[in-house]
Amino acid sequence: MELDELRNEWQEMSIELNKQKILTDKLIIGMTQEKYSNKLKSISIPETIGAVICMLSAIFVMIKFSTLDTWYLAVCGVFTVAYLILLPIKSIGSIRKMQQVNIGDKTIEDTLLDFTKTKKQFWLVQRVGFYLNFILIIAVLPVAGKIMSNKDLFLDTKMWYFYLPFMVIFLLVISKFGLKHYKKTTNSAEDLLKELDI
Amino acid sequence: MQKQQNFIKLIKENEGIIYKITLVYAFNEEDQKDLYQEIVYQLWKSFDSFRGGSKISTWMYRIALNTSITRLKKEKRKGERVSLDSYLLERIDQIDTLMEDRIKLLYSHIKQLNTVEKGVVLLYLEGKNYDEIAAITGFTPSNVGTRLNRIKQKLKSQIKK
Repeated sequence: MELDELRNEWQEMSIELNKQKILTDKLIIGMTQEKYSNKLKSISIPETIGAVICMLSAIFVMIKFSTLDTWYLAVCGVFTVAYLILLPIKSIGSIRKMQQVNIGDKTIEDTLLDFTKTKKQFWLVQRVGFYLNFILIIAVLPVAGKIMSNKDLFLDTKMWYFYLPFMVIFLLVISKFGLKHYKKTTNSAEDLLKELDI
Repeated sequence: MQKQQNFIKLIKENEGIIYKITLVYAFNEEDQKDLYQEIVYQLWKSFDSFRGGSKISTWMYRIALNTSITRLKKEKRKGERVSLDSYLLERIDQIDTLMEDRIKLLYSHIKQLNTVEKGVVLLYLEGKNYDEIAAITGFTPSNVGTRLNRIKQKLKSQIKK
């Protein structure tokens, strides 16, 4: 089969195909309206809900910050607040960037470069967030213990024996799926770049 | 209103092009409907920004191919969609009648190429010369030639298997 020979057959088929108009005005107008959800909305909606919950939690900790009366509780409090504010902002920012890849006036090469770059940035934020989760599970418990029941869990350590193993196992199980997905997505971004031969 | 009429005319004149691109890039019929709608939507979104700096076909191919290669694979899409069922069925019947067996075989092998190769070979089959393919893809004309040679070899060895 020679591609050059098939080119003529292909074009004959194309001419015939283009002669036959099937699409109606109504169908075309329907397709121009953004009624269906954008492909990235499935990621951005849970991220936005998560960000709102994080922000509210951060505000709550900030209001109650004066109850964190030792230096180590204050450090945990600062880390918790910083995590709850900064990570969702970075995460939503990286999704926005993916959504804003402009495909209207760019070549395929430029579009692919932009797309893979923003996709990799998004997954980098997710990965950093995943590792910070391990610090968060340690930082958030004493903060919550102090704010909710005025207990210093660095002095009263019983709770840690139940909480820490449970949370570590929970995070490891989540990580198994999360990092697998991360790797797959990053690899597919790398594959696209390889296809460009650059 | 005038803008909408012009757009409808453009899509009707080129509905076959969009169909062929979706056939190569979609995973199944459901996915093909989604992709078709997404391409038309992206064309509509960019319609204002098209100032005639390039040929209308160059602009269309660029957007249709960019949409196809940048969407997330196998992503679940929710929400309202225009029903393209009857459209798609009629098109499938038509292309079945129009396609020679050799073209059908070629289509099935093109689907196995990688994302970028699919776009390049499709533009070549559509009758675009190296310069036109370069304008759409962003590769240099000589790079387009190299890629096409590689694709031809790849298709040959795929077909031999």
